[in-house]
Amino acid sequence: MNLADEGSLIERCKNGDREAFASIVNHYMRPAYYVALGYVGSPEDALDLSQDAFVNAFRHIKRFDSSRKFFPWFYSILKNLCMNHLTRERRRHESSIDEMAEEGSVPIPVEAINPEQSAVRRDLEVKVGMALRRLRAKDREIIILQHFQDYSYQEIADLLGIPIGTVMSRLYGARRALRRELEKLGVT
Amino acid sequence: MQEDNFKPLLMGYLDSELTELESIRVEQHLEQCAECARELEEFRRLKEVTRNMRVATPDARSWDEYWSHVYNRLERRVGWVLVSIGAILILSYGVYSLIAKFLLRSDFPLIVRFGAVAIVVGFCTLLISVLRERLFMSRIDKYERIKR
Repeated sequence: MNLADEGSLIERCKNGDREAFASIVNHYMRPAYYVALGYVGSPEDALDLSQDAFVNAFRHIKRFDSSRKFFPWFYSILKNLCMNHLTRERRRHESSIDEMAEEGSVPIPVEAINPEQSAVRRDLEVKVGMALRRLRAKDREIIILQHFQDYSYQEIADLLGIPIGTVMSRLYGARRALRRELEKLGVT
Repeated sequence: MQEDNFKPLLMGYLDSELTELESIRVEQHLEQCAECARELEEFRRLKEVTRNMRVATPDARSWDEYWSHVYNRLERRVGWVLVSIGAILILSYGVYSLIAKFLLRSDFPLIVRFGAVAIVVGFCTLLISVLRERLFMSRIDKYERIKR
């Protein structure tokens, strides 16, 4: 979707056109989910929060400057919701350190593109999921988008509203961190 | 080029995202810099380890129903606003009736009337406080402090 098409859809959204908003949602639902997954780690919560973020975006769409790209603005709404969710989760777990420690070890679900796989391969996926879980949310976000979902650098730059050079430097830091975590888990 | 500035380019080289000219510059640098060559090899191994893996993705049905979930939530908010308006109207009428039929009658003991007044005033204060907070919050951009 180019900027002009998106701009005209946004203008229709500002007039309350929900069909136009449906086009925006269908176009961005996948990256929204992956960004949320990078922050919260749970697929169910990521789906739920990304949908909530679209609801909030529609409610505040009149404040949005339609000459700009939608996703970087939407991204700040989504990130805010994810951070609030994490804060609530942290508070909820404050009374139960054991439970928190247990949850901290729950890996991000990683699956094989080809479902036929050995037990060794499955074990590796769990370790990769655990390593992902231990990364900073910001590192996880870019790793999920590029490393695991094959978004191009240009697509990531457009989605997050950052230059391609920043995509590369963030990816460099995130991959180093992922490598370190995998080494700690015995994957070399 | 500074070593630290160069390292992120290794990512672009690894993922085939560089221009031809940039790739040539990276290759020239790799011939001279053992550290970068070693690091690139480690990143290649990492890519190999995670090859053919992806993070859990919702099934096709979840994507098909995604918009309808968003739509339902949008509608539900409108419903909640209408329910709130209705509740406020009915509550206001209840408060008016309470004052007219109960508090102004002198045959109830003073302490009961005083207690009832305290409850009503307290409830109204809480209600106004919540409404004022909501109104104030809707005027400011909740996301303006978020840094990307």
